[in-house]
Amino acid sequence: MTQTKIAYPFEHLENGMQAEDLENFKDQVRSFVADPMLLEEQKRVAMMDAAYKTLPYPPVSGAALDTLGQGVICLLGEGPAPYHPRYVAPDYQKVLDEGSEFFNLQPATNLYEAVTNLLTLYNYSPTSGDPPYIGNLDLLLEPFVRDLPMEAARPVLKSFWTLIDRLHPDAFVHADIGPEATRTGEMLLDIDHEAGTITNLTLRYDPEKTPREFALKAVRNALQLSKPYFLNHPQHLADWGPDYIIASCYNIMWLRGGIFTLVRLNLAEAASHFDGNLDQLLNDELPRLAALQVEVMNSRIQHLVEEVGWFEHSIFVKEGLLDPEKFSAYAGVVGLNELVNEMMVRSGKPEAKYGHDKEANDVAVQIISRLKQELSKHPSTYCKGTGERVVFHAQVGISEDQGATPGCRLPAGTEPEIYTHLQATAPIQALVEGGVSDIFEFDQTARQNPEAVLDIINGAMKLGMRDISIGSNDSEFVRVSGYLVRRSDLENRQEEQLLRYGTAEIAREFFTAQPNTLHRRTRQV
Amino acid sequence: MAERVMGRINNILPQSFVDGPGNRSVIFLQGCQFNCLYCHNPYTINDCNACGICVESCPVGALSLDGNLVLWDEVKCVDCDTCIDVCPNSSSPKIRNQTPEATWEVIQNFTPFISGLTVTGGEPACQPEYLSDLLKLVKAQSNLTTCIETNGGVDSEVMESLLPNLDYVMVDLKAFDPEIHLALTGHENTKTLETIRQVAAVGKLHMVRTTIVPGYTDGESQIADIARFLVDLNPEIHFRLLRFRSHGTRGIAATWESPSDAVMDRLVETAKKAGLVNVDQSL
Repeated sequence: MTQTKIAYPFEHLENGMQAEDLENFKDQVRSFVADPMLLEEQKRVAMMDAAYKTLPYPPVSGAALDTLGQGVICLLGEGPAPYHPRYVAPDYQKVLDEGSEFFNLQPATNLYEAVTNLLTLYNYSPTSGDPPYIGNLDLLLEPFVRDLPMEAARPVLKSFWTLIDRLHPDAFVHADIGPEATRTGEMLLDIDHEAGTITNLTLRYDPEKTPREFALKAVRNALQLSKPYFLNHPQHLADWGPDYIIASCYNIMWLRGGIFTLVRLNLAEAASHFDGNLDQLLNDELPRLAALQVEVMNSRIQHLVEEVGWFEHSIFVKEGLLDPEKFSAYAGVVGLNELVNEMMVRSGKPEAKYGHDKEANDVAVQIISRLKQELSKHPSTYCKGTGERVVFHAQVGISEDQGATPGCRLPAGTEPEIYTHLQATAPIQALVEGGVSDIFEFDQTARQNPEAVLDIINGAMKLGMRDISIGSNDSEFVRVSGYLVRRSDLENRQEEQLLRYGTAEIAREFFTAQPNTLHRRTRQV
Repeated sequence: MAERVMGRINNILPQSFVDGPGNRSVIFLQGCQFNCLYCHNPYTINDCNACGICVESCPVGALSLDGNLVLWDEVKCVDCDTCIDVCPNSSSPKIRNQTPEATWEVIQNFTPFISGLTVTGGEPACQPEYLSDLLKLVKAQSNLTTCIETNGGVDSEVMESLLPNLDYVMVDLKAFDPEIHLALTGHENTKTLETIRQVAAVGKLHMVRTTIVPGYTDGESQIADIARFLVDLNPEIHFRLLRFRSHGTRGIAATWESPSDAVMDRLVETAKKAGLVNVDQSL
């Protein structure tokens, strides 16, 4: 279960919890014990998290500590010294083909055994809780579904899909489908349309390979459920090769690999702690920050690999489900919008806004290109999956991000007309190979013309957009940043009801802190 | 070189989901032979007669009178639409005179995102030379599909000349009863019914639409008559009922009520009972 975001008054970056903080610590644990709004498992997670936060962070330089203190570099609630990777992408095909000695699973010979093997493995996800990647479900299950009549396969798939949501009620649990249509893929889309679960989903979309009817079914779902995402498959195939997967929200990584850590550079904060001009930003400040960002990442990765000995001890590695050679880490970026606009102010052009002005858009491309180039200069020994370099990722925000627009997006509510929006952001998306996405909400008219939505998606992909989320302004499901929440869960939380979904709580915090995020421009069509 | 025919263009919309299949750019031509009581863009009905009333009322001085022409300064214009509100002639001074080539140049900015182009109005067939040249050009230069939205009050020879370069035709049938049609539009519907037959016969009738106006077209027999007429041509013709809304209308229609959900639902059922397979209503 995803941890909720709580302030830990005893958390200390350099030295861990100090003796004088002991009472604070006890108070916090007491508050969890008696919290009527938490289920027992949520209490356990909160207490475990509190204990974990008493540890010090792996040592970094004074300059890195300063940027962490300023919030320019941010650890995204990962806590101090990591004891597991942030994301993993186990080779589920292997456990279907061969079973697993440790997990006491036999090779799957039918659909029932296949979903049993998968659900078992999900239960042991070696991450913070629920599995961030649950497989290319259509490809994994199609061999078992192919020869079954619909009436035999569908109830099993429906039960499987329901169990994923009920056992792992977390909107960062993510499945992939596509690019080709399969009976399994078709049924999963239909079941999702019917059941409406919170589980995240991406269609790897290839205008050449994905049959139009299948893509239109995905559009129909998206207008109701705000999922699946539409991921530019040809682009990712070109960048990564066939073995890439999507986990969590829109996070790209290798199959059998994982992401050790996601450390973020908050460009909006960077702007407020730097008073130079654009040249100085590009030539001095961004290189300095990129070096510090990789330093912080490396301190965490080294801790996990060398101190924790994660690869040596992981049962997933021993069973051959994960491969140390396929791992990497994300250098995240957030608040591009604010940095670009501030730089335009400093250039004497306060009217020129990112997304609306060509010169501002060019500055955005310069910033992102420069950052990417600088990040690639610094080795990260254990990122074997990506040439011992970290991977660039557009992170879309947490509730603390006051005044930082998610990732490389445009601020909700002030987006330009859709073609302009896509033309402005596509060159940026093209540069971010480790995951980036944008959200477009249409009015209900779109439901009568899903072909039109597909036209927009096709156009976006032609321009180089990597990943887009489509939704409808009256949908029960809202895409918060990268994950989904039910409107009813947001409302229930306002009324102080218990919730099964940890992510509903972080969504509520997010929207309370940044209510404008709920007011994306509705595309009147 | 022969002088190119110029189109009189009220507006170009980069994106629309309601004017034919897929996402389409839409060109609104100025001028319509009908004069519908509930016209939703009445400023597209007539050509400007240079009366000059709008010139006086423009708050930013974007309009000027030059002989028998009103000149429009697009840069000064703030799109407040005061000119349209004060026009006594159901027209607009904000009309672009454009060759088909110039229009095509604008549309090309949108081609990554669209399936096609829809020409509407006004009544697109009221500018047959420009329309025909534009459609030919689009077909020659692209894979876009072409569509017009017409009231159907068009000579069959004109429609015949347009059809080779059209993929889809959407016909608005204002009413089936000739008297009601006359009352609503000032014209008979003989040509419109003939247009529907003509276009259906070549398989290019994308949709027939009727606006449900209380007191005029909300009678079940009205809708059943249309449905039976269409069933005879092809039971699979897509028939969409549009709910009258007063937004954008002038005069008496601005005081009319919209039909209720119950009425809309019942009329959809009526059309289905008559044997039409594809009947729906606008959302």
